[in-house]
Amino acid sequence: MAENIVTIRNLSKIYRQGEINVTALDNISLDIRAGEFLTLMGPSGSGKSTLLHIIAGIDRPTSGECHVQGIDVAKLNESQLADWRNQNVGFVFQTFNLIPVLTAYENVELPLLLTRLNSKQRRHQVNTALELVGLAERKTHLPRQLSGGQEQRVAIARALVTSPSLVVADEPTGNLDSQSAQDVLGILQTLSKSAGKTVIMVTHDPKAAAFGSRTIHLEKGELSN
Amino acid sequence: MTIGTFILKNAMRNKRRATLSILSVAVSLFLLVTLLVALRELTLPPEDIGAALRVVVRSKISIANLLPAKQRPIIERVPGVEAVSPFTWFGGTYKNEGGLTFGQFAMDASKFRTIFGDSKMPEEQFEAFQKDMRACIIGKLTAEKYHLKIGDRITLVGTIYPVTLEFNLAGIYSGTIDDRNMFFHHKYFDEAMGDMGQVGMWWLKVRSAEDMPQVITTINNTFANSSAEVRAETERAFQLSFTSMWGNIKLFVGAICTVVVFTLILVSASTMSMSIRERFRELAVLKALGFRRRELFAFILAESFALAMFGALIGVGGAYLLYTFGSVSKMTNGIFITLEVTPKIIGTAITVAAGLGIAASIMPSISVAKTSVVEGLKTLD
Repeated sequence: MAENIVTIRNLSKIYRQGEINVTALDNISLDIRAGEFLTLMGPSGSGKSTLLHIIAGIDRPTSGECHVQGIDVAKLNESQLADWRNQNVGFVFQTFNLIPVLTAYENVELPLLLTRLNSKQRRHQVNTALELVGLAERKTHLPRQLSGGQEQRVAIARALVTSPSLVVADEPTGNLDSQSAQDVLGILQTLSKSAGKTVIMVTHDPKAAAFGSRTIHLEKGELSN
Repeated sequence: MTIGTFILKNAMRNKRRATLSILSVAVSLFLLVTLLVALRELTLPPEDIGAALRVVVRSKISIANLLPAKQRPIIERVPGVEAVSPFTWFGGTYKNEGGLTFGQFAMDASKFRTIFGDSKMPEEQFEAFQKDMRACIIGKLTAEKYHLKIGDRITLVGTIYPVTLEFNLAGIYSGTIDDRNMFFHHKYFDEAMGDMGQVGMWWLKVRSAEDMPQVITTINNTFANSSAEVRAETERAFQLSFTSMWGNIKLFVGAICTVVVFTLILVSASTMSMSIRERFRELAVLKALGFRRRELFAFILAESFALAMFGALIGVGGAYLLYTFGSVSKMTNGIFITLEVTPKIIGTAITVAAGLGIAASIMPSISVAKTSVVEGLKTLD
């Protein structure tokens, strides 16, 4: 049995909105195994995106621990956290978030600018990532010249290019037609099954969740099963 | 792709805005350079080679007070003095033009070449000038401006003195630092005025630069406690005291420069803030991908700096080319002879541009640093 890549213990997140405290996550404990394709489901405001953000190191918990690959990400400072994200986490967003003035190739290359790779090594990795998502032919296209599905595949290539062990996807099919959604989910599934990446995906869609190896439901900041 | 390419692509993503930003910086810096060179010319007038050996003697009371003509032989006897000439500002109008567009001076024609050795004029023209008491010579710039040629008649209507003088144009000179002035015989002026026995100033040439301090001191002492006390000074000192009559123009131009720079900073900071605000989500994504605050600050700074420096290149470079290779006299209608864009002025303008680039990037950088990735990403949905 694979070891845990994510270990969460008694994790809480409380937002302060004016005079009111809003509990987004309430004392959650969770283990995620390496290579798992975990889907997080739940109604709006249930805390699934907050949990994803904390695991990915872009948000901090109010209390509790979140260990990813043995590192308590909440204890890293801003700079360490940025390095850690670059090396360990790949992000896929609902709205793709590609840089509009960069080509598909340049968008994928972006995270590699922070590494010590030379241009030849970067080229190799970018081409490999684009081939993996089936967009090698489109690498000179700007985002506006691509369909939504293609844009999301470029975003997946960007998430993979640094070879992270963890890929987080926040409703990656939310803006896609059903065929493109199938393609994207298929790629994420392949990443988990064939490449051994741990994929954590937030979704509202039970059909999308079916692509995962395990589904967790959140409700009012608590795990419901 | 390199970081530089990335910054450049970001800077030029909205080409119209980038172009307008660059042009606003360029125009403002062009204006700043123009004000600075104009101020420099006003407060530090150009000086020709012969100025080092020229002394101006004027009334100690004021430049408007005349001096007695009988002072001349006394001054001529001062050791170290090579030549002395009366020098009286006539201040006439030409062709009914409202303002005075060129200086007109009555002087001793025979001393012109000795005192103003920098001037270039054909020998026959100079001889003609000396022989004819009603002859005058005029600078090349004024001759060109009024399309004057040798033999033309020039009529000046006095605004200070109640006479109208008519001249024959005998020569056109060039090669001095100010080829605009007109010179004519003081004798003709004296005759027209009924030999009033007074002159505006004395201009003299000393034998060597070493003689200069002694000549000045002797002349000042000679006429001390007389009915017509004088102030003898170098031509340079005279020009500077003359320009001080402009009042505190330095403060005035300085105030305009400050306003220009301040406005420029506000406009650029606003443009930069707008540009960054539109990209908040992208910057949040960059943060998520692993870019640190200092790298994002460097991106914003580099972008702002690049736009400002590009504007500076156009504005300062344009001013340099225009004032160095263009005809300043024609452009300014004879107000300025030269406008020298000195390395110091270029340095000042470039420093302003650099400061502008930095200042404009500070506020957007602070907002980006303050915003967390999650907050930044929320701006997308």
